[in-house]
Amino acid sequence: MGDSKALDPVDYAIISQSLIAAAREMGAKLIRSAYSTVLREARDGSAALLDADGNTIAQAELIPMQLGTIGHVFRSCIELYPKETLVEGDFFVINDPYSGGQHLQDVFFFHPIFFEGRVIGFSASVAHHLDLSGGDPGLNIAASDVYAEGIVIPPLKLNMERDWNGGAFQRLMRANVRVPHQTMGDFDAQIAANAIGRTRVIELCERYGVEKLVAVMAALMDYSEVRMRAALRAIPDGVYVGEDAVDDDGLSDAPLPVCASVTIKGDSAIVDFTGTAPQVTRNLNAPFAATISSALSCLKAALTSPDIPFNAGAFRPITVTAPKGSMLNPIHPAPVRARMEVCFRAWNAIMKALAQAVPDKVIACGFDTTTSFVLSHLGPSGWSVYLEIFGGGFGAGHDNDGCDAVDGPLSNCSNTPIESLDQDFPFFRVIEYALRPDSCGAGRHRGGLGFVRRFETLTDNVRIALYSDRFRRPAEGLFGGEAGAVGFCEVLRDGKVIPLKSKDAMQLRKGDIVTLALGGGGGFGPASERSPDEIADDIADGVITRDHAPHRAPAALIDA
Amino acid sequence: MRVGIEVGGTFTDLVAVDGSRVEVVKVPSTPASPDVGAFNSLTAAGIEPALVTDLVHGSTVATNAILERKGARVAFVTTRGFRDILFFQRHDRRNIYDLHYKKPMPPLRRRDCFEVAERVSSNGDVVLPLDTAEIERDLIPLLAEGGYGAVAVCLLSAYATPAHEAQVKALIGAALPKIRVTCSHEVAREFREFERATTTVLSAYVQPVIDGYLSRFETTLAAARFTGSFSVMQSNGGRLPAVAMRKNSITALFSGPAAGVVGAVRQAERSGRKDLITFDMGGTSTDVCLVVDGTPSVSPETEVDGLPIRTPVLDIVTVGAGGGSIVWIDDGGMLRVGPRSTGATPGPACYDRGGTVPTVTDAHVVRGTIRADAFLGGTMRLDVDKAHRAFEEVATKLGLSVREAAAAAIRLAVANIVRAVQLVSTERGRNPRDYALLPFGGAGPLLAAEIADELGVREIIVPPNPGVISAFGLLAADFVRVAGVTRRVVLSDDAPPVLREEFARFREAAEREFRGLGLDGALIFELTAEMRFIGQAFEIPVDIDPGRLPTLSAADLAEEFSAAHRRIYFHGGEPGRKVEIVGLRFGVRRPLDKLPEFRERASRVVNSGETTVWTGGSALSARLVDAATLVPGKATCGPAMVEGYSSTLWVPPGWQVERDNPGNLIMRKV
Repeated sequence: MGDSKALDPVDYAIISQSLIAAAREMGAKLIRSAYSTVLREARDGSAALLDADGNTIAQAELIPMQLGTIGHVFRSCIELYPKETLVEGDFFVINDPYSGGQHLQDVFFFHPIFFEGRVIGFSASVAHHLDLSGGDPGLNIAASDVYAEGIVIPPLKLNMERDWNGGAFQRLMRANVRVPHQTMGDFDAQIAANAIGRTRVIELCERYGVEKLVAVMAALMDYSEVRMRAALRAIPDGVYVGEDAVDDDGLSDAPLPVCASVTIKGDSAIVDFTGTAPQVTRNLNAPFAATISSALSCLKAALTSPDIPFNAGAFRPITVTAPKGSMLNPIHPAPVRARMEVCFRAWNAIMKALAQAVPDKVIACGFDTTTSFVLSHLGPSGWSVYLEIFGGGFGAGHDNDGCDAVDGPLSNCSNTPIESLDQDFPFFRVIEYALRPDSCGAGRHRGGLGFVRRFETLTDNVRIALYSDRFRRPAEGLFGGEAGAVGFCEVLRDGKVIPLKSKDAMQLRKGDIVTLALGGGGGFGPASERSPDEIADDIADGVITRDHAPHRAPAALIDA
Repeated sequence: MRVGIEVGGTFTDLVAVDGSRVEVVKVPSTPASPDVGAFNSLTAAGIEPALVTDLVHGSTVATNAILERKGARVAFVTTRGFRDILFFQRHDRRNIYDLHYKKPMPPLRRRDCFEVAERVSSNGDVVLPLDTAEIERDLIPLLAEGGYGAVAVCLLSAYATPAHEAQVKALIGAALPKIRVTCSHEVAREFREFERATTTVLSAYVQPVIDGYLSRFETTLAAARFTGSFSVMQSNGGRLPAVAMRKNSITALFSGPAAGVVGAVRQAERSGRKDLITFDMGGTSTDVCLVVDGTPSVSPETEVDGLPIRTPVLDIVTVGAGGGSIVWIDDGGMLRVGPRSTGATPGPACYDRGGTVPTVTDAHVVRGTIRADAFLGGTMRLDVDKAHRAFEEVATKLGLSVREAAAAAIRLAVANIVRAVQLVSTERGRNPRDYALLPFGGAGPLLAAEIADELGVREIIVPPNPGVISAFGLLAADFVRVAGVTRRVVLSDDAPPVLREEFARFREAAEREFRGLGLDGALIFELTAEMRFIGQAFEIPVDIDPGRLPTLSAADLAEEFSAAHRRIYFHGGEPGRKVEIVGLRFGVRRPLDKLPEFRERASRVVNSGETTVWTGGSALSARLVDAATLVPGKATCGPAMVEGYSSTLWVPPGWQVERDNPGNLIMRKV
């Protein structure tokens, strides 16, 4: 572990835990002081502490998707503005997917941490913003390039005094967003989170000395690396392959394949996505940083114990590659807003590959889809934008049924309480929020259930926009388990059903009823091996119905 | 005579006070029927129930009923379309990388959840009238057939108007008088349906258990010719007459940690200390609480077994660092302490009950701060060799000696507790240096000085008998009722009248209830506004002195909110950002007429002379002192070990300790 050998083991343990605690506090306060539902309820944000070279040391565990690649986007800032040129009050801001970012909605803030006149690290936060300009409120599903998706912020060095507190950049942003009350408030929450991280790191320097702190930062990365390598060593060497696909690009009906090959060699791994579909003209492409995040998240979740700090050291043994011009490494200016769908398929493809190497650790495919659902209305006092992220059923595992109605593994968004929606949005009402019986894939262990949300529009001129996936191609089961149900979205108007596609938008009228159905997870092992007691319980609880039971339940039970 | 009996997982503690006479007893708990242990403690102390005027009881009966799923068979009734809210929960995962994630399990199944047609809006207007015919036709037969002992009713937006819930309750009550119906507006009149529904279900679930337990307890007391008052401890730090608790018992959960805080804080107040950080270190965990001006902080919500409970409780943060916490090295080579614990069996290696892994208690034995023949007042002998042997493997891996490894483990345990203290202080904008440390629990005083050193705290207050302070807390607790209500109002000139109106309503109901319970005397009222900037989802509590209500202005409230926001989030919001009140929290308190005396009980161990303590690799000769012999006016300098019946205080070099007139030990940095 190099220099860290000289560290006292107790100092090391204490300071490293304090750094992790500081990152956690930053994340918690980012969420708790935020304004938009997407940040405060869906918790679509993250916070981290970086060392002076921009390596991620500790991160708040909020959304797996945003973990792991903060260092990439930082690099494009520090290359333009070397740390020696920074002064107190400076900060970086960036959201450009083609400079290491994810999608435009994710805006990164970096604040340098000065101690005794030199930069010893950076505090970082990223948040998904509800509206960042672009062709439509909240979500422009028709965007054919990144310009139509919102305002692009290249790597910028700004100063709090000059550019933020009433300054030019703050005013520029305020003038370009549709819900400034929320977006500007969320920016402030990010800046506050960074201030908290900076304060905690300085306190640690004062308590333990800056040399010790810097040594611990290095040792903590080494520590994660050691643990990740130990996990990789435990897997048999080999090349494992898996494949899944995105339903379509929203224009044609053709599936978009995602191929992963995972090469395990000793204590390192290479994940390559050769064979994946070329980039598309709609927003389903994933910037390469997002691709890396999904690959790392999948390996970490499947192979290691959850308490390994997710920092730059954990990624050293892992290499991720994807062909330039593919959906997982697109060429500028391809649109990338709905990157999560292809990222989830990359996650599924890796999981299928790992199923060949470590069958008892993996899970079947879940619904594993980000369904981003927007209802918006322009009233006399401006735009009102409701955006919520929905998951579905989790895939079943070797020893367990999949979790019902929960966000997918690359994400972790909470739902917004119905009673909050009733208070905040007078233009629609949720009239049903229910589990979907029979949506789980059958198996020795069943997949998780999907669910249904129904909305009634209470005024005219409401716009619905959504992107989702697995409307055509269900979550497959594993080792003989069956597939879960697909999702759908439809509008009931004057007794007629109008189906929507998985990537779609339309104008709604007063009295329309929108049904959004999220799919279930795949089963694990043959359904014939499921215990009769569990089937009886599922029937009694209405999780599966008798109509649906025949091919999976012993006949005696069905007749009973 | 006044008697407090606190039933814990392992021990049942009794504190009896009669004038200046103090009796302290610890007996083994009897988990199958905790009341047996409680009456055993009376017998062990030689107390005639007929002579007890005031009996206060705290137990884990409510908590265990939930943890062990031994509550009533409960049905859940909600608005049509929302049957599954108990299972959706918040649609998130507690551990983001767990592929085999399971949500916390509510204490019923999906088949026990029913719907009724109705809907009201967030301002209380009826959108869809309640279909009473359907309830009589469909719901009531299902409830009758299902064999339910309790029904929890939680309808959407019932916090705004309880009319539909009250109607459902009346219909079920008329048809099925034996089933007890609990409505959400009676338990937690606050918005956010999942949290309110779970609170209602858990309340309905434990209520028959508590009712049965207390009724049995009262019968036994009556048979022993007890004629005094009998009250029960709550998680909010107050007590209530048993008769009131039998009706609504959700506040009985986690009363034990709250009793400890109240006992320690009331006792410390006698020494004039009101700004305190309490820490209660037991066998498996440590509980930490911040106390400002004599008032422990309150949290609007807690959770049990992963399920949220929306009821105000003392804001106690728990970390997995106790005497039994395991010392280990993870697969990345890092030294760790906890959160796993050896529990009572097999226990630490030094207990010689088959445990072989090193624990914090073993580290103390190796270090010399727990003496083998003075543990638990000398009633349990420890095996020093086994403690040493348990540390060998960890020491080898770290390249340290056994003594150095034990010292490292203690420093790490200290660091874990320090982080918990930072969670309740620094993270909430409070500087721990402005507070005195108040350790209790069997293991608390052993680490107090080291924790204070890490935090920069210069004063430590140790109450008498720190190992049984929870039982004293029962006697020290005031009668308390708390309630919360969701009432959203933008902070403008309209807000103060709303506060006055809601407060008057609570005050009137509270006075009626307390007088009905025979609680005479002056009542003290408390008011807290839950506030946030419009658009935020999380509130910040702002305390308001009810005496200020007549002249309170919106500008005062805005200023206090902004200051609180700045303390926590490092900014007070941009100019002109609007603030709203989301909810109000009320408390009523009937103070005790007189706080009972509390004195150190004599230990049965001979403790004088010197003992060896190993710190930083070198041996120190520490003076041995009997806690009961420390008297005011005579300071003891460290290194010293102050041994008492229920706990030992370690006084390192550089610290000195002295007993003050109220009976507390005051330890200061020299």
